[in-house]
Amino acid sequence: MAIKAYSDEWVEQFKDEVNKSSVYKTAAKGWKWTVGLVVEAEPEKNFPESRGLVMDLFDGEARDIKLGSAADAQKCDFVITAPYSRWKQVSKMELDATMGMLQGKLKLKGDLPTIVRYTQASKELTKCTTRIPTEWPDEQ
Amino acid sequence: MAGRAVEATAKEIGVVDYGSKEPSAFAEMLGGLIEANVLARPEKKRDFDVLVARVGIFATDIAEGVTLAFDSGKLTVYNGLEPRRTITIRAETDTVMTLPNLKIGVFGLPVYYDEVGRGVAGKLLSGKLKIDGMLTHIATLNRVTRIFSVQ
Repeated sequence: MAIKAYSDEWVEQFKDEVNKSSVYKTAAKGWKWTVGLVVEAEPEKNFPESRGLVMDLFDGEARDIKLGSAADAQKCDFVITAPYSRWKQVSKMELDATMGMLQGKLKLKGDLPTIVRYTQASKELTKCTTRIPTEWPDEQ
Repeated sequence: MAGRAVEATAKEIGVVDYGSKEPSAFAEMLGGLIEANVLARPEKKRDFDVLVARVGIFATDIAEGVTLAFDSGKLTVYNGLEPRRTITIRAETDTVMTLPNLKIGVFGLPVYYDEVGRGVAGKLLSGKLKIDGMLTHIATLNRVTRIFSVQ
């Protein structure tokens, strides 16, 4: 059964997918920073308010992933920001996250040498979202 | 007053300029990466201070390129491929983002025998990574790799 995008249930499922991923576990060994994903509002797509995902990731494990405000996510060590429809493209594997960042479709804030060292891990993190059966608000 | 002093210091230590008023995300990513490396690591700063070269990097899958113009301790990053390049690297974005993960071994040479190195060497051999000017500017390529490396 599909889960409403960026709901508490979706976030819980996302955390499970991250912790199930052996690829992430290996690629994120040594990672010890928080990551915030800002999903910007697009009222015309039935996504009226920005949301933030606050991710406490440590050494290949998702210790906690919480749904919060965009401001909560912006306090993290690394922040990736994009409008709702871009994140939907990432989740549907229509946009590669690395390509998106290099094209400016996803905006990254944080220490670049660190994030480049963990390119594989960040790729897998976004891949985990593709494994969640999602109900998209603009498709209802 | 203290705020101004901090701002002035940050400007003085800035080593990267952009050739365009609106640098592309790709240009900002590479410029930011090199700046962070050079400011944090003295061995990279030493390489950066003596490097004079124009390095083109073209990501084939997004059809976007940048030119890194190194000039003895200054770097100007241009959107697109500019003329008179010493070296030009062409590959897909995934491979471009793998290059900074090459480890630097003894004598300051990139390591091609670990997993990342073998992957890069394999892409070179299969033509998925093309480096124009590699054979004639091998020392420059090694220096650029050292500056670029995040390992």
